[in-house]
Amino acid sequence: MIEIYLRLADRALTPVIVVVAIILFLRGHDYPGGGFIAGLTVAAAIELQILAQGATPVRERFGRYLLPLVGLGLFTAISAALLGMYQGGFFKGIWLKFSILGAEIKVGTPQLFDLGVMLVVIGMTVTYLLRLTEASEQRSNDVFDGEQQMEEVDA
Amino acid sequence: MNPYTALLPLPVAVPLLFAAIAIMVGVSRRPRAIQIQKILSGSALVINLVIGLLILSYTLTGERIVFQMGLWPAPYGITVFADALTGIMLTVVGLLTLLLLPYAIASLDKSRARLGYYPMALLLLMGANGAFITGDLFNLYVFYEVLLMSSFVLLALGGTPSQINGAIRYVVLNLMGSIMLLLAAGITYGTVGTLNMAQISERMGMAPYALQALIAGLLFVAFAGKAAAFPLFFWLPSSYHTPHPVVTALFSGVLTKVGMYSLFRTFPLFFPDLLVAWQPFIMTIAALTMFVGVLGAFAQPTIRRLLSFHIISQIGYMLMGLGVALTPGPFGVGFGLAMAILFLVHNQLVKTALLVGGGQIELEMGTGKLSELGGLVTSRPLLAVVFFLAAFSLAGFPPTSGFVGKLGLLQVTFSTGQYAVAAVSVVVSLLTTMSMIRLWQYIFWGKPNPQLKPRPRLAYTSTRALMLTPAIVLVALSLAIGIFAEPALTVTGTAASQAIDRAGYIEAVNPEPAPTPAPAVVQEVTP
Amino acid sequence: MTAVMLAALVGVLFTTGVWLILARGQIKLVLGLGLLSHGVNLALFGTSRLTRGAPAVIPHEGDLATILATQTFADPLPQALILTAIVISFGVTAFIVVLVSRRDAVTGSDLAPGELASLLNTADPFAAPMVTDALPAGVIMPDAVDDYDLLQYEIDEVYDRPQDAAEAKIQ
Repeated sequence: MIEIYLRLADRALTPVIVVVAIILFLRGHDYPGGGFIAGLTVAAAIELQILAQGATPVRERFGRYLLPLVGLGLFTAISAALLGMYQGGFFKGIWLKFSILGAEIKVGTPQLFDLGVMLVVIGMTVTYLLRLTEASEQRSNDVFDGEQQMEEVDA
Repeated sequence: MNPYTALLPLPVAVPLLFAAIAIMVGVSRRPRAIQIQKILSGSALVINLVIGLLILSYTLTGERIVFQMGLWPAPYGITVFADALTGIMLTVVGLLTLLLLPYAIASLDKSRARLGYYPMALLLLMGANGAFITGDLFNLYVFYEVLLMSSFVLLALGGTPSQINGAIRYVVLNLMGSIMLLLAAGITYGTVGTLNMAQISERMGMAPYALQALIAGLLFVAFAGKAAAFPLFFWLPSSYHTPHPVVTALFSGVLTKVGMYSLFRTFPLFFPDLLVAWQPFIMTIAALTMFVGVLGAFAQPTIRRLLSFHIISQIGYMLMGLGVALTPGPFGVGFGLAMAILFLVHNQLVKTALLVGGGQIELEMGTGKLSELGGLVTSRPLLAVVFFLAAFSLAGFPPTSGFVGKLGLLQVTFSTGQYAVAAVSVVVSLLTTMSMIRLWQYIFWGKPNPQLKPRPRLAYTSTRALMLTPAIVLVALSLAIGIFAEPALTVTGTAASQAIDRAGYIEAVNPEPAPTPAPAVVQEVTP
Repeated sequence: MTAVMLAALVGVLFTTGVWLILARGQIKLVLGLGLLSHGVNLALFGTSRLTRGAPAVIPHEGDLATILATQTFADPLPQALILTAIVISFGVTAFIVVLVSRRDAVTGSDLAPGELASLLNTADPFAAPMVTDALPAGVIMPDAVDDYDLLQYEIDEVYDRPQDAAEAKIQ
């Protein structure tokens, strides 16, 4: 059963949630936020889509990217740690500072690590949510079939 | 800077890096993807073993390697630490995982390989290596969880009903252990204000006795639970026989032994006084573990169930070694610990060899029921010989490593006056011998069962050779330790004396004294 | 007072958690494990100083020494530990939920195999050996030796070498 209002809300809300996730990710180094929370927020956006449209279209759209995303995230995180060896030690943070339009922006390996965490969290959480939704959809279909059979027997 | 310092984080970084690439590659449905995963896995394991050997060769000179993650100074950053005990464990576990790779390539079915056996095995190795090298109590918890998460997936790989049941029991009981470990870490931080192992070691003696006993008890429950000691072993026999044999062999060589390693690492370092005061308690647990394990083995009808009870029984010997860890002897101060480490290594080699051999029979014949098997000595003479040697090494016959380990442990136990436990261990050795003879007889002796035919897919000479290689190498190593006992004892003696040398550990890590915290001003807010 | 309340809360969480784990039923198991890990997280929280109005974040601006001297701060380390522990228990709980739902799909019952048998056995100690036909429909009795269903894959699998398949057919 696909909810029409939820579908409309999903259209409007998903971009907002993704923007919030990006903001959370960017402020993460010095303030509350960061890769894990941003990843969960993105996963929440995708869960909204699952609720609105059902698991099958979402699986068709994202399913094949999920596991490579986890691998890519792990790879990004560990390469951020290994890049630190260039400055003398495993996990040593390397920061680049530059200013665009007067605002000073810091980019560094801890953010790269955070990005990796975010990708892993998105991949794992969405896989898990999809699997559970599919299991429950399967079960409700079974129950529905069972009821139909009972009705046939009654008739 | 010492080049070995830069080497130290690599046992964690290398398996993770290769596992990440393998996960990225493995999604493709083409058979080529599995081939690439095998190559990646092989290269990661070779690099890991080389790193382990380098660290071992350096630490055996009596040096320690210390590295601060991100170059943060000691109590603030996470310390990574290696001495000879770490080196031995890194090398042995690296060797075991490398040897199990050809076995997995030969015997693993395509569906399990596609579900990610190879990357998960690498992640398991990463968790174990992390638990070996970490010098921070909370970090130890994190690596335990990495280890457990990948072991959960490996255990459930394939998803047959018996596997899922085994996995649920395994997950729940191990999660309880992890909760205990986390609680112990929290109470330690609340008591001594640090999680750095060197600083805990410095300050633990000043804590009140009740808190010390609480922390020690929680740590003992957590680690002994992971190691499957007496009252907490139920998860092991109900889950170890369910997955693919290569997974069982991997678990027996890595999982329970990490729990044992953590006991060897933390107890002499944090609670040297309690280790002496609690000796009767530890010895009782050890005796019960041995005895219950071996009695359980007699009741088992299948190969891997029987062998998994022997895993428990052998853990008892290692706990006995922990109980007498600080007893001096001919090879240094920590002679008891040295013997325990030797026994740990011996058990990792021999147990894995037995499970690899037994698993091969189960896979080829399609059953591991002792009542159905028989007469395999004519068709598989080499396997019969290897299995025989491994079984007798487990029972403790000369000239194998089991003999050296058991003799040394008995000697130390006698010198501390624990005659009852020594007697139990002798009786258990006898029972182990009986059980092993029974096992060998059922599988290899007697008349062959005409209804059992080997699976054609596994009956190729090349496949058989690949599957037999790990067992042969492991048994050869066990014999080598038994014959060249003195060099082996020197190595474990160095490891033990480093592991119980608290002052040396603290000096090597050299944590800054933490600033005294400002007194807390409790602001009572009136509503 | 806060400390006593916190300790009591941790105690309540542990008690309920253990009780739920020991109760029959898999959803209770999952809930119990969740409560236990919450209890441990709260216990960890207690190791930072329980001060009100004291954040664990030190502001960016200003002189660090004066801030440290004049204001009180909660210890941020236990909170970082709790965050890590929450992440880990989240992952483990997700895995257990998937396992339990999978078991539910495979065996068609909430009970673990063996639980049902013990339930039936304890109901009547003098009963004759159980007859599988008497079980309610949809419940699959666990086989006494359930070890070797995993080895079945070898038989079902399509051989990757055609010779093998031919040999198998001849035999």
